[in-house]
Amino acid sequence: MNTIFEEIKDAIVDGDEDLAVELAEKVIAEKIDPVQAVQLGFIKGIEEVGASWTSGEAFLPDVMMAADAMKAGMDVLEEVLAAGEGEGSYEDKGKIVLGTVAGDIHDIGKNIVGALLTSAGFKVYDIGIDQKPEDFVKKADEVGAKILAASSLLTTTMKSQKVLIEYLVEQNIRDQYKVIIGGGPTSAKWGAEIGADGWAETADEAVLLCKKLLG
Amino acid sequence: MLPKFDILTDEQLNKIHENSMRILKEIGVEFSYDPAIEVLKKQGQRVEGHRVYFDPDFVKEMVAKAPAQFTLHARNPEHNLVCGGENIIYMPGYGAPFIYEADGVKRDATMEDYDNFVKLAGASKYMHMTGGTVVEPTDVRDEIRHLEMAYSHIVNSDKCFMGSSSGYEYAKDSIEMAALLHGGMDVIKEKPALICLINSVTPLKYDDRMLGGLMAYAETGQAMVIASLVMSGSTGPATMAGALSLQNAEVLAGITLAQCINPGTPVVYGSTSAVTDMSTGSLSIGNPENALFTSASAQFARFYGVPCRGGGGLTDSKTVDAQAGYESMMVLFATSTTGVHFVMHTAGILQYYMAMSYEKFMVDDEISGMILRYLKGFDCESDEKMAFDVIEKVGPGGHFLTQKHTRKNFKLEFYRPELSDRQSFDGWSKESLDTNQRAKIKWQEVLASYVPPALDPVVKEKIESFIEKRAKELLNK
Ligand code: B12
Repeated sequence: MNTIFEEIKDAIVDGDEDLAVELAEKVIAEKIDPVQAVQLGFIKGIEEVGASWTSGEAFLPDVMMAADAMKAGMDVLEEVLAAGEGEGSYEDKGKIVLGTVAGDIHDIGKNIVGALLTSAGFKVYDIGIDQKPEDFVKKADEVGAKILAASSLLTTTMKSQKVLIEYLVEQNIRDQYKVIIGGGPTSAKWGAEIGADGWAETADEAVLLCKKLLG
Repeated sequence: MLPKFDILTDEQLNKIHENSMRILKEIGVEFSYDPAIEVLKKQGQRVEGHRVYFDPDFVKEMVAKAPAQFTLHARNPEHNLVCGGENIIYMPGYGAPFIYEADGVKRDATMEDYDNFVKLAGASKYMHMTGGTVVEPTDVRDEIRHLEMAYSHIVNSDKCFMGSSSGYEYAKDSIEMAALLHGGMDVIKEKPALICLINSVTPLKYDDRMLGGLMAYAETGQAMVIASLVMSGSTGPATMAGALSLQNAEVLAGITLAQCINPGTPVVYGSTSAVTDMSTGSLSIGNPENALFTSASAQFARFYGVPCRGGGGLTDSKTVDAQAGYESMMVLFATSTTGVHFVMHTAGILQYYMAMSYEKFMVDDEISGMILRYLKGFDCESDEKMAFDVIEKVGPGGHFLTQKHTRKNFKLEFYRPELSDRQSFDGWSKESLDTNQRAKIKWQEVLASYVPPALDPVVKEKIESFIEKRAKELLNK
């Protein structure tokens, strides 16, 4: 087995973004099988971090840096993977557009959700804070995402989550997406009230929710 | 009052101060609100886009214009409060969207809860004011929430309260209402009656809404807390010294802007910095680090010659249990003994500002009473207090229970708990109530017997018609 896979895995475990990119570039330059690089390198690494997270040995910076390194490295490989190079094929577990709703600038919780989803094998497109329904949909269409994940931390901006769903209904595209919501003041009850497809209280539960919705 | 102890050595304080100045000068602070940028540009600060790079000497000069203390005026002058000096001001928690009930039920907070907490604070011997946004009343449309909240403080108590800072317009509404209550805008310009909370957006930003609020309060000479909440490890560095430097830079930038708008306008140096729990990402507030940040903030405020806001009865617990008690006592004790003047979140908070609890309010009220007693320290002023005569009278081997000196003085010197149980085991075990259960009985009793102080019907009528007019405008927008 090519030792570069082990190196990639270690780079992810260390959360070394620069090294992950460098190694991904090497994979392309040396025409190493990209699917194997993903399976035996990136995914192996992130799974290892995920396991330590679950067992309580790893902490947020470990997971979030690993997720960032994974994302950066995978971005480099994206093109060759899409071109179908390599033995077998690699597909992410699903694409998710994630953002904080209009009027709200809280983003720590959203970032954590993004990192844990990434480390669970989902491809996350984080559109940032203070985002309107149009922004969620535009990104989702651009990348082919099936889940829209909206974060809100204020009772005054929770209604923007409702507005997002209303927008989908108005545009006659509600059935094309699963909408999940979360953030401090939200609740399962609120999710049900606005017709969301799911609500989660924590980032770990958000991962389970997405697995269920796309599974 | 006890002398306040310093948590930082002079050397540490200076190092952090210099670090903050360097942040202000070399990294700068972003202000999204154009009028604020204009003000700072005019004062000769270097501006690039929305980023302002401060000249440290200018910052020092501006901060020096802020008063070391000021009086906040209440509808009942007996409740006027001096913010600064030797004083400490306690009030209920701020901003929580949920209520956690005694049996563990979680629900959205309502306007009825709002009124109740204002009344409990009004009735309390230890809450000096009724606070602001005591819960987020989710059953009131947010366009008019600020009006309803201010009204609740005005009619349910005659103590000082806080106004809205959510943008220029809402801030102006609260100030107008305070003006109506006190007999005109000129009156409150002379005698500030309202105080609000302005928060930076850590790291190193101030947004439109907050700056709009800041301008409204500064223009009318009303007081404001300018605070920074660094979540050490996520919105700020994971080192205590780094997080404190960052917080300090942000607060100084805000104070500088307020002083540029209205030199001498009353401001309070605010901190709610705490740490990020690295297993969940949540803010964690019931811990030694928060106590340290709070104490250091009090010391910095002393250093800059302005009053300080920080701390409170803070906990991460979800229910009124031992954790809620020991964490809240730790933080409120540190807050109070190291020189914080203005203590938002003194009573009621559970789970890192997410919830208010009636039972927790009563527990914190008790903790407040205990700490206020502690702060009084020893009284050695008179011969009576030194008690030589009575010691001589009783002599070796006697007892003091039947002395007039005892009968008079224990009432003056001993703190009498209202919630804690000091009975024997048998006495206690008749009902076996724990603190949570006793607190529930207690707050219901307090609410049932509370009579809000009467408000002049003419003034009340004026305020009500103002609310009616504004509500129409705001809801038809
Ligand atoms: C840090 C903080 C800030 C920072 C934000 C910095 C940043 N970069 O995000 C600053 C200082 C800027 C800020 C500003 C304000 N804040 Co603030 N803030 C907080 C605080 C203390 C912590 C938030 C946080 O990051 N928590 C940690 C993360 C990890 O938790 P989380 O976001 O809930 O996320 C978890 C879950 O909810 C879930 N999740 C999150 N998003 C999603 C999305 C999906 C799809 C799913 C499935 C799950 C999910 O997973 C996460 C991990 O488990 C909270 C109180 C609190 N304890 O939560 C107040 C709080 C949310 N803020 C509040 C308020 C009022 C404000 C301000 C209006 C002003 C003020 N008074 O402070 C402004 C508003 C600015 C704006 N327009 O948005 C109130 C809200 C009350 C209400 N009415 O709802 C709170 C509750 C504090 C309070 N009691 O006053 N705030």
